[in-house]
Amino acid sequence: MLLAALAALVLADASTASQLAWLGAAVALVFLAIGMALGSASAVHVAVAVLGGIFLLRHDTRLLLAPVYGAGLLLVEDLAIQTIELRGVGVVALDVVGARTAGVLAIATIGAVAAAAGALAVTAAPGRSVALTALGALAAVAAVAVIAWVARRRYGGSE
Amino acid sequence: MRGLIALAGAGLVGALASGRPELALIAMPFLVFAGVGLVLAREPRLAVEIELDRTRLLEGSDAMATVRVRNDGGGPVQIEVALLRSRNLTLDPPGAVGILLRAGGHSELAFDVRPQRWGSHAVGPAVVRARDLLGVTTWEGRLGGRADVRAFPREQRLRELVAPLRTQPFLGTHVARVRGEGIEFADIRPFRAGDRVRHINWRATARRGAPQVNDRHPEHSSDVVLLLDTFEEARDRAGGTLDDAVRAAAALARACLARRDRVALVDFGGTLHWLEPAFGATQLYRIIDALLSSDIAFSYAWRNVDSIPLRVLPSGALVLAISPLLDERSLAMVTDLRRRGFDLTVIEVSPLDHASPGESGDDAVAFRLWRLQREAMRARLQSLGIGVAVWARDGDLGPALEGVNRFRRSARPAMRA
Repeated sequence: MLLAALAALVLADASTASQLAWLGAAVALVFLAIGMALGSASAVHVAVAVLGGIFLLRHDTRLLLAPVYGAGLLLVEDLAIQTIELRGVGVVALDVVGARTAGVLAIATIGAVAAAAGALAVTAAPGRSVALTALGALAAVAAVAVIAWVARRRYGGSE
Repeated sequence: MRGLIALAGAGLVGALASGRPELALIAMPFLVFAGVGLVLAREPRLAVEIELDRTRLLEGSDAMATVRVRNDGGGPVQIEVALLRSRNLTLDPPGAVGILLRAGGHSELAFDVRPQRWGSHAVGPAVVRARDLLGVTTWEGRLGGRADVRAFPREQRLRELVAPLRTQPFLGTHVARVRGEGIEFADIRPFRAGDRVRHINWRATARRGAPQVNDRHPEHSSDVVLLLDTFEEARDRAGGTLDDAVRAAAALARACLARRDRVALVDFGGTLHWLEPAFGATQLYRIIDALLSSDIAFSYAWRNVDSIPLRVLPSGALVLAISPLLDERSLAMVTDLRRRGFDLTVIEVSPLDHASPGESGDDAVAFRLWRLQREAMRARLQSLGIGVAVWARDGDLGPALEGVNRFRRSARPAMRA
């Protein structure tokens, strides 16, 4: 349902690229279904990536909606992964799903707020320049590298 | 975790490459999630104990396995607990159980344990998968010890047993063929010096004009040797002939020991195990313990009666061979025992219940031929004076033994010869 809502958000304003948006939504749906049926997290990641990609097909208010869209994608991703993780579990206590979903909702909200702050910064920033792009690239690479380094340092090769 | 970082990275790279900041904004919640998840995640310190409320039970009955899980770590963890178990053991719930444990919290999980077959089974250790609250990191391991449960075979209650031809000079419940002190009337004979006055039959004495005494049969016990054939078995999904053979052996041992016979056990197959004859409840536990470790051991070795120690096969013992009669070596052994003068009965645990006639006409013909061969083999054994009781799965062993007793009554002169 969440996936359908996110796809509808794009389709409502895709106008000329609506066919491509429909195709993207269908591909995302198929990958998500495959991922949940076969227990493959990679297929879920692909579905989320495709769904993220088709957001660019929207015409208006992209910057405004991107934080909410990102938070929605995170929820889709986590709910699908939870479903996969709990496939082999016979009995699940309610608080297992409840606590995790509440945690992810909270993080998604924080993430959306951070993204909204980013959107504000983008709106307020002066025109595009090489220096600004380089700074952005450096910040992005640094953020991913730091997280990957922390993950590797704390947990070695395992997830 | 890798997937999250990859998605976030893809969003950022896509934003830089295409000059569309929306992609970076979409990736932002993923980055925050990965970062916060990593900061909050703590390596769990879990302790698991597995305990069974009963370690001895009948096959098919239930025991309760309690799994105690304690979280000694600093944060909440989602835990999935699954129990490792032996092949013939079923658990309820069958899969893993998922719970949430706060820091310092503990929980008790209950699993119903049911052995489907007799034998020694193991429950545990527990396979535990723990995740932090957001599911960013996962740990897996085997925790807790192993709890053993022994499932005893479910026995039939036997009302009738095979009556032995010869008895031993110990007090028992069989009416002996010899004469002596006892309850069962045997004959009237003239008084001899040394006879007790209380044995005089006064009516016969008055009629014959000379003192006559009553002769009686004493009550003796007998030696019974249970010979379990473990050379080969027929098996399907529901079980095998060895499963039934062990149930029959346990029921016979209990019934024979209850009528004060000395009982021995010989596990005759690829490997040879035996228990010397003895009386009483202790012997019953020894026999059942030995039966629980019975298994089909494949071997090309040709074994015969000489492999069995003499003290396990006392002279005059009643030998009850429990066998599916599938292996030539078993057949050779029973005929050899009979030719050596042992009082022998074969309890044939029918392999027909575990075999299907097949789909094609040729298969059906082959199946009929096999059945005819088995009938011919049975007739050959009976011609040697060996009683054969055919015991079908889910059938009652009592009527089968009654059939053998009928055969033994009619074949007695030949058997003595």
